[in-house]
Amino acid sequence: MSLLEVNDLLVEFTTSDGIVKAVDGVSFKIDRGETLAIVGESGSGKTVTNLAIMGLLPSKIADISGSAKLDNGAGPIDLLTISGSELRKIRGKDVAMVFQDPMSALHPYYTIGDQIIEAHQIHNQCDEEESAKRAIELLELVGISDAQKRLNAYPHQFSGGMRQRVMIAMALVNNPKVLIADEPTTALDVTVQAQIMKLLADLQKELGMAMILITHDLGVVAGSADRINVMYAGKIVESANVFELFANPQMPYTHGLLASIPRVDRPQLQRLETISGQPPSLISLPAGCAFAPRCTRKSEVSGSACELTMPSLVEVSASHSSRCHLVGLSGLSGSVKR
Amino acid sequence: MFGYLVRRIATSLAILFAVSFAVYAIFALLPFDPAALTCGKNCNNPAIIEANRIRLGYDIPFWQQYIVFLGGLFVGRSYSEGAAAIHCPAPSLGYSFNEHECVTTLIVRALPVTASLAIGAMILWLVVGITLGVVAARFRGRSADTASTIFVLIGTSLPTFLTGLLLLVFVVIKWKIIPFPAGNYTPLLENPFEWAQILFLPWVTLAFASAALYTRFVRNAVIETLSEDFIRTARAKGLSEKVILRKHTLRAALAPLATMAGLDFAALLGGAILTEKVFNLPGLGRLSLGAVIEYDLPIIVGATLLSAAIVITMNLIVDLLYAFIDPRVRVAS
Amino acid sequence: MFKNASGTSRIARKALASLAAVTLLGAGLVGCSSSSNGGGTLTYLTNADSWTHADPNRNYTGQHIAWFGSYMHRTLTAYKRAAGADGSTVVPDMATDTGRASNGNKTWEFTLRDGVTFEDGSAVTCEDVKYGVSRTFATDVITDGPGYAISMLDIPKDKDGASVYKGPYKTDGNDTAAYDKAVSCSADNKTITFNLSRAVGDFNYTVTYLSFSAVPKASDGGDKYDMSPVSTGPYKIEKYVAKDEMVLVRNDKWSKDSDPLRNAYPDKIVVRFGLAEEVRDQLVINDSEPAAFSLDGILPTNLATIFDDAGVPVEAWKDRALNVYDPYVTYTAVNVAKVPCVQVRKAIYYARDFAALQTLAGGAAFTGDPADGVIKPLMGLDYKKTIGYDDWKEEGNAERAGSLMAEAKTACPDVYKKATTAGLTYDVGDTATNKKAATIWIDSVKKNSGIILKFNFIEPGAYYSVVQDETKQGDLSRAGWAPDWANASTVIPELMLDGYGFPLSRAGKDPTYAEFKKRAEANLAEPDRVKQGAEWAALNQYVMDQMWIIPGVFSKTQEMWGSKLTGVFFWEPQGAPSFGDIQIAK
Repeated sequence: MSLLEVNDLLVEFTTSDGIVKAVDGVSFKIDRGETLAIVGESGSGKTVTNLAIMGLLPSKIADISGSAKLDNGAGPIDLLTISGSELRKIRGKDVAMVFQDPMSALHPYYTIGDQIIEAHQIHNQCDEEESAKRAIELLELVGISDAQKRLNAYPHQFSGGMRQRVMIAMALVNNPKVLIADEPTTALDVTVQAQIMKLLADLQKELGMAMILITHDLGVVAGSADRINVMYAGKIVESANVFELFANPQMPYTHGLLASIPRVDRPQLQRLETISGQPPSLISLPAGCAFAPRCTRKSEVSGSACELTMPSLVEVSASHSSRCHLVGLSGLSGSVKR
Repeated sequence: MFGYLVRRIATSLAILFAVSFAVYAIFALLPFDPAALTCGKNCNNPAIIEANRIRLGYDIPFWQQYIVFLGGLFVGRSYSEGAAAIHCPAPSLGYSFNEHECVTTLIVRALPVTASLAIGAMILWLVVGITLGVVAARFRGRSADTASTIFVLIGTSLPTFLTGLLLLVFVVIKWKIIPFPAGNYTPLLENPFEWAQILFLPWVTLAFASAALYTRFVRNAVIETLSEDFIRTARAKGLSEKVILRKHTLRAALAPLATMAGLDFAALLGGAILTEKVFNLPGLGRLSLGAVIEYDLPIIVGATLLSAAIVITMNLIVDLLYAFIDPRVRVAS
Repeated sequence: MFKNASGTSRIARKALASLAAVTLLGAGLVGCSSSSNGGGTLTYLTNADSWTHADPNRNYTGQHIAWFGSYMHRTLTAYKRAAGADGSTVVPDMATDTGRASNGNKTWEFTLRDGVTFEDGSAVTCEDVKYGVSRTFATDVITDGPGYAISMLDIPKDKDGASVYKGPYKTDGNDTAAYDKAVSCSADNKTITFNLSRAVGDFNYTVTYLSFSAVPKASDGGDKYDMSPVSTGPYKIEKYVAKDEMVLVRNDKWSKDSDPLRNAYPDKIVVRFGLAEEVRDQLVINDSEPAAFSLDGILPTNLATIFDDAGVPVEAWKDRALNVYDPYVTYTAVNVAKVPCVQVRKAIYYARDFAALQTLAGGAAFTGDPADGVIKPLMGLDYKKTIGYDDWKEEGNAERAGSLMAEAKTACPDVYKKATTAGLTYDVGDTATNKKAATIWIDSVKKNSGIILKFNFIEPGAYYSVVQDETKQGDLSRAGWAPDWANASTVIPELMLDGYGFPLSRAGKDPTYAEFKKRAEANLAEPDRVKQGAEWAALNQYVMDQMWIIPGVFSKTQEMWGSKLTGVFFWEPQGAPSFGDIQIAK
């Protein structure tokens, strides 16, 4: 089996306004050394998917079903059914996470040394000195100079990019098999974004781990992802390897996302395209395709199928599937303007 | 750090001078004659009222009175003459003809009482407030949380005076669970057991309302902190909920509590009037209350200055404490 | 002695006596009380933070005089320790007799007994009494005490009307010789002679005041003496801390042989200060301290536990409570200068809903009966029911008030106009009860007479200093008064004559004042006590007919104590329990 296999993941939140279907039947696999990008707008369910896998959603308000099987060498473990204490042994060790805003994700009252050492000590029986050594090693690995001294610095004494490096060092301290990076560059300057993305890509190669990269920006993942899952309104709407997705997007939403990437090879005066309209409320999803209200091409499908029936995820090719009524209609792929 | 402290202390002294001057000015402008209030029936003779005015030092303009007061702080003050001569040594805050005692002596006598009351009560309400608040937050929405909500409601709606009176009348007088104290106050060093016995119900009374407020505050602070990103990070590291609560949540949640507790404590040190009244503790609250009723200016000024000094000092301590807890606000040295 | 402005606590109260003839009793005639020694600790409970004063020269309230007089301070003469009218008899205390008058009652002599000592064992001499009396003159230090030494002793006054002698503390410009002339000691230092500026037939009543007791000069600290007075009685102070407690222990230098008046039953006497009012009452009601005596009045809410509707103690409280008349008469002084119209003054008297005011204050059983003047019936010789007011009704008499106002319209149109348009101002202490009472006054007086009342609520602590100031006083002022001893000479002149203690009515501004003044001054010098009493009663009628005051109540007071205390009786001349006779049952 793959390193991590998620099958038919369903996450519902019970709120006073009704049941929110945040993740609806998501399935994917990731292999060792592979980078999977999950792309979508805010509220598309990409972050919730990963929090659900990590068991970080409060069980009181989140209703989770499906399976997320991790192969950590001793046979597959379903992360969604094991006990809390079992899961805690995996969290931070086999699966680690890097979060969006490194300022708020690091504890403001403890030195980064304390925090990295703590992360190491949870999963390793060793004294603090060894853990400190490991922390220095990791800090050096992520490119923080003078690591020995910086160990005693507080998060607020670092710049945004440096903080994210610290977060990455902390996540990697236990040699995780899977690293989940949730919008790791969103809160950073554009120049720093590229550095961090490069760092993540380099580290992944070096350490041979699998990485799930969550982002709303297809441009960020273009260079580093192997596979891309596009999510919309809690569902995967398109899944393909990175070349195919960029070359042959099937779903108008994916197309829209691609069109909104700023590109150096595009004439400067051409305005970036945007997807008009708002994502639907997850409480009262339309009966048909969730994207239909915003879709500019639904008229191409006969009999208002887009509004009435939910399309299923169909394979376009062996490594490419898409959830769209347009799939199979002639001329679609060719009609995507680049 | 040292320079910062010196600056802070200098500012504090300036504030104290301003406060003392303001108190003098306010009382000088009030439309009553302190001299006429001191001689009862004899006050039908203007010569006697005038003599009283001289004795009390109210015969000179208030700014001169204020200068005399400042002088007293450094060299002491003397009143009357002959066998009736009274000397209050430096630092003298004046002499109270109502209490027949130097104000400094009165304050030195009352402060340990109020301090004993305040410290005990604060420890009690912090322990109860933090424990209940954390438990309520940890078991949010469950029966422990509901129970704490009921406690908060009762605690915040029962007036201190009534709580104290109910405790005293039922626990001591009617049910005799605790004997009626033989004295009004026993110093800690004289007899620790009696000290605690006399102060126990006052502590409970005073702590009750505050514990309720702190329970609510701590509960909300913990719940809010638990939703912080760094708590999610801690969970993602694989830390147990216990460690997350103890190490990561409490420190962040309780930092603002240090400010609140520090200022509440300062306010208490100025005198817990109602509790001191109900339990008959001869503390600063009673001293100030009596002084206000009797228009006893020297005590009012002395007590106000002390309160101001305490508030200023506690502010400084809270700031230092906050810097100790939260590295982000640490003063650049 | 005036009543405190809040009217709720009994801090201020002074002597009232059923009138006993001023007899001179020899020492041998004083009845000794039983010498049985109960022992134990007697505890007094009070809401007050301390005694108003413990300095004998500064005590001026009956309760405090009774208390300190019982335990610590001996005086030249004192009231007999007995219930009822007998208690108003003056008997010798430190003196061998009740004083010898000569020079037409202008010279009085008292000789000290042998064996009277201070708590250190040193003998009390004439000089010690003389020194004690001299302190009264230091009015800038020794405040609040009665001023009789100043007003009666033959010492010249300066141009401001102040005594040329300024007490023992002043050194510059102080006429000590004038004092030495007025008060002198015999060669053996045993006999003290007082020279008075006017004839005072009952000066031996005056010296029952603690301000005529002995103070050892060496121990006098001026104002500080209030916290540490030296005892001449059976107990001395072991501890006295304000807001905490006072502890009296036996004075081993005191001997019963030289003091036949006092008993010394308990071994120890403790005063617990500053108890919350409800706590104080509950301690006694639950009998938590069976040897405790409440020094304060009882909270109105607790009265029903102890007394029935008629004000009689219920069975369980038969031997533990008293409901008696205190020495006070309450009244509303009408500022004659501002309301120069007897018809308007009387209209208010008739219009007021007295019944509603009584109910508000707790009912007649506890507050007292409607007064008909400023002299209380207990004054015996000096009291006679005033006549001509049979048509006064407790609930108000609108008809009579209306006809008086109709008269006023023509007799004094200016006052009539002011009373019915701008309204009359009424000064009272700023208390919750007074605020409620104000609405009853305003409504009933308006309804029955058309007079508009406007209340001026004054901070209780400042109340008397405001209303005593003629420039600040309103048209009407609430007050209460008790005689300083059993003679209306301490009532009628004090309240009505210019230059006396408490002339809130400003009667001197009334056109009928001249005749009144002539009669009152003549009566002060009247040697025949019976004739004098009849004249005081007549002058009381005069006051009513001019309506210089609107009478309130002959007020009552309630006392309660723990189950182990016995021997409590009401000591009428002091208007307080006879503290020195309370003992603890075995």
